[in-house]
Amino acid sequence: MTEGMVVNNAQDVPFSYILAELLESNLEQKPHKLRTFNKIYGVVAIDLKDIEAIVTLIFSGGRVRIEQGIIGKPDIIIKTDSDKVIGLNSITIKFGLPYYFDEAGMTVIRQILSGELKIEGMLLHPVILTRLTKIMSVM
Amino acid sequence: MGVRALTQEWMDAYKAAIQADPEYKDIAKNWEGSVALVVLPDPAKGIPETVYLFQDYWHGDVGEFVVCDKDKAESAKFVMTGEYARWKQIARKELDATKALLQGKLKMKGDLPYVVRNIKTVNKVIDILGAFETIWPDEV
Repeated sequence: MTEGMVVNNAQDVPFSYILAELLESNLEQKPHKLRTFNKIYGVVAIDLKDIEAIVTLIFSGGRVRIEQGIIGKPDIIIKTDSDKVIGLNSITIKFGLPYYFDEAGMTVIRQILSGELKIEGMLLHPVILTRLTKIMSVM
Repeated sequence: MGVRALTQEWMDAYKAAIQADPEYKDIAKNWEGSVALVVLPDPAKGIPETVYLFQDYWHGDVGEFVVCDKDKAESAKFVMTGEYARWKQIARKELDATKALLQGKLKMKGDLPYVVRNIKTVNKVIDILGAFETIWPDEV
């Protein structure tokens, strides 16, 4: 069902496989997320400094390409450590929006406030960030 | 006196440590399914052949914990594979398991969203892995 929707060109970055598998499995297990996935147009980079892994996700409405490094000028850049990036997938979606008032959400807020998690472009591109959170959430 | 790693005695000790943990039952109440740990051979470190370990977890309870063959390991709901040195580092808390997975030092077969949803259970079980005295084959 998700064949060809997620193209991983960052094969030298093991993290990219996890990202691709998570996205594919999520879309297969929760087909309603496809509607959101089909609406995402934008570029998101994820920079995991502790493991020196950087990938860029290029969304083009129903398709995403994962590339190694930072490609072009991403709309959003997520900078954090590998143990914290998994927490972003645990954000609950309520009424179609990310919910930040439970344990997982509050943890992410705390990490943003403390600088452990940086999301550049979150104020300029809230729609992309919201849609990204929705499709990546495993909850 | 510890137990020699990757033996049935060690699996028994691991199971007992999980059962004795006061927090485990509550943290793992939603987890269902078996996990296999596959330790790749490293003859120089006393691991001449691949070691397969099968563990059964069910809603906070623990079932079968055995050293097994390849077929049984591959029948597990989740199969995690890594080099001996990596498993040892994880058990000793020198390497974070999530980091190892994201770095490709551990490979996992199974439902990844399920694992992420239950990451606290995974972290707890891995935390307990380092909680009892172990004799590692390359240190004998």
